[in-house]
Amino acid sequence: MATGSWMKSGGARADAGFAAKARMHADSADVHEQGPGPRLRRIRNRLLTEGLIGTGMLSLFWLAMADGVGASLAADKERGALFLLLFVFLPYVLIKWWNWREARHAVSDMWAFGELNFKQISTLLKGRKVIQSDVLDSKTYINVVREQIGDSLAESEREIVQVIEEVGTLTEHACQKREHIAHSIRSGKELTERTHERAERNRQAIGGIEVQMRERTAEMRANFERIEGLAGEVRALTPLIKVITSIAQQTSLLALNAEIEASRAGSAGRGFGVVANEVRKLSVSSTQAAADIAERINATWKKVNQEMAAAKSALEEREADTGMQALIAELAEMQMEFSKNSALLLDVIADVDASYQECVERLSQALGHIQFQDVMRQRMEHVQEALGEMREHLQLLAGAPDEPSWDGRLIETFQTLLEAHLGRYRMASQSLTHQAVAGGAKRGDHSRPSIELF
Amino acid sequence: MAMTVLVVDDSTTMVLSLKTTLNLNGFQVETAANGRAALDKLHAGLKPNLILTDINMPVMGGMEFIRNVRSLAHLRFVPILTLTTESEAGKRDEGKRAGATGWLVKPLSGNDLIGVIRKVLPGA
Repeated sequence: MATGSWMKSGGARADAGFAAKARMHADSADVHEQGPGPRLRRIRNRLLTEGLIGTGMLSLFWLAMADGVGASLAADKERGALFLLLFVFLPYVLIKWWNWREARHAVSDMWAFGELNFKQISTLLKGRKVIQSDVLDSKTYINVVREQIGDSLAESEREIVQVIEEVGTLTEHACQKREHIAHSIRSGKELTERTHERAERNRQAIGGIEVQMRERTAEMRANFERIEGLAGEVRALTPLIKVITSIAQQTSLLALNAEIEASRAGSAGRGFGVVANEVRKLSVSSTQAAADIAERINATWKKVNQEMAAAKSALEEREADTGMQALIAELAEMQMEFSKNSALLLDVIADVDASYQECVERLSQALGHIQFQDVMRQRMEHVQEALGEMREHLQLLAGAPDEPSWDGRLIETFQTLLEAHLGRYRMASQSLTHQAVAGGAKRGDHSRPSIELF
Repeated sequence: MAMTVLVVDDSTTMVLSLKTTLNLNGFQVETAANGRAALDKLHAGLKPNLILTDINMPVMGGMEFIRNVRSLAHLRFVPILTLTTESEAGKRDEGKRAGATGWLVKPLSGNDLIGVIRKVLPGA
């Protein structure tokens, strides 16, 4: 096979006629496999065999004739002719034809060589050397390709390691944040519970204050109304003073008249005149006292009126004051808002936690995908191994023609090397690619699932 | 208390990605580059809750490592999962005979891996 390939390449690089002859030579299957030397040896062996077989058959024929079989055959001419045809003539012709065919091929081969002139043979030999040298140089070529693959793998590994380290740092932060989130959730829940308790207490306290305020205001209103009633009663005394003053004035007038009448009566009315005088004095005093009382009542009424007006104003202001109620309502609203916001805050923290969980899942998925690098590395290592195998095989092919002991046969060919790969594949994808390109029998069962628990 | 997983793989990218994935999901991780290094850690007193090992490794491969672990009395029942590119049935059966708990083929998504681990380690 190697010689054939070599002949093909050598012919292609010489002139067109030489190439055509070289191809014709290479197209001969036997030469392709063994070259003209073994063929000539085989023809020689066959000619010897042919001679031996012919001699043997003639001997057998004469022996048969001598045993009397010949006589019986001679008696039956038709049977004798058939015997000669089947057992002597036909085998001899077949052997002859086979050897003639072989000899014709050998002569064609030798003719093809014989047609080559000195220049062509020189080109052929030179080409062989060039090709040998080129095949030997493929070692460096393959080594460079292998190294390129190795470097690319190392580079991709370095880059991916950096990516994973970055992700690792990120996840460390994420883990710390997760602790923080967990702490926030705990604190938030505690805070919300405390806030609810406090809000409830405040609501009760504010309710109490409101009730007390209403009661105090009602009490104040009742006191005001009571005082206002008393003031009214004091005011109602004023007409009585007028009556007293009027009575006192009439009494004084009456006493004066009595005194006049007493003085008319003379000594008999002297005592009465004294009494009348005293009564008149008393009525004057009474009038004076009534006037004092009226003045006092008026002064008191004025003062009470002023105080009542002030108290009324204060009471009305207090009753009309919505500030405190607004404050209470505002406080209640604030507490409600705070409770709502606490719940919202807890929701936000829960959302953050859910987002974190999603991040963890997505990061885990992404990290799983990074395993492709290891899968790719193993496939590329297999390719590197195959390239090494190719390099060694090419070295062997290039060196073989120079080996005096080489018999023109190859123990290993690219075909056998390729077939051997089938048994070394680890992944289903490797086998599939191989079979898609090169065919060959399916080896190994890769059909089981990627997750298998025993 | 976080559970400990021993990751055995000669690929730096695999070890790092698995370590990060497992840490992210709340596991503690110990690593070794081959079966021999992992055995040394186990002999030194490491008691993992689960072992995740590659099969094709230098110095000591996964099969030999699993057989060695199963010969240690205190680790006889520790779950061992393989994570390998080997998908061939014969290799799986060999792994099962050696004492593996399960066979996982690379590449495997992170969530699938965590799912299998949680199945093998209830409560993890």
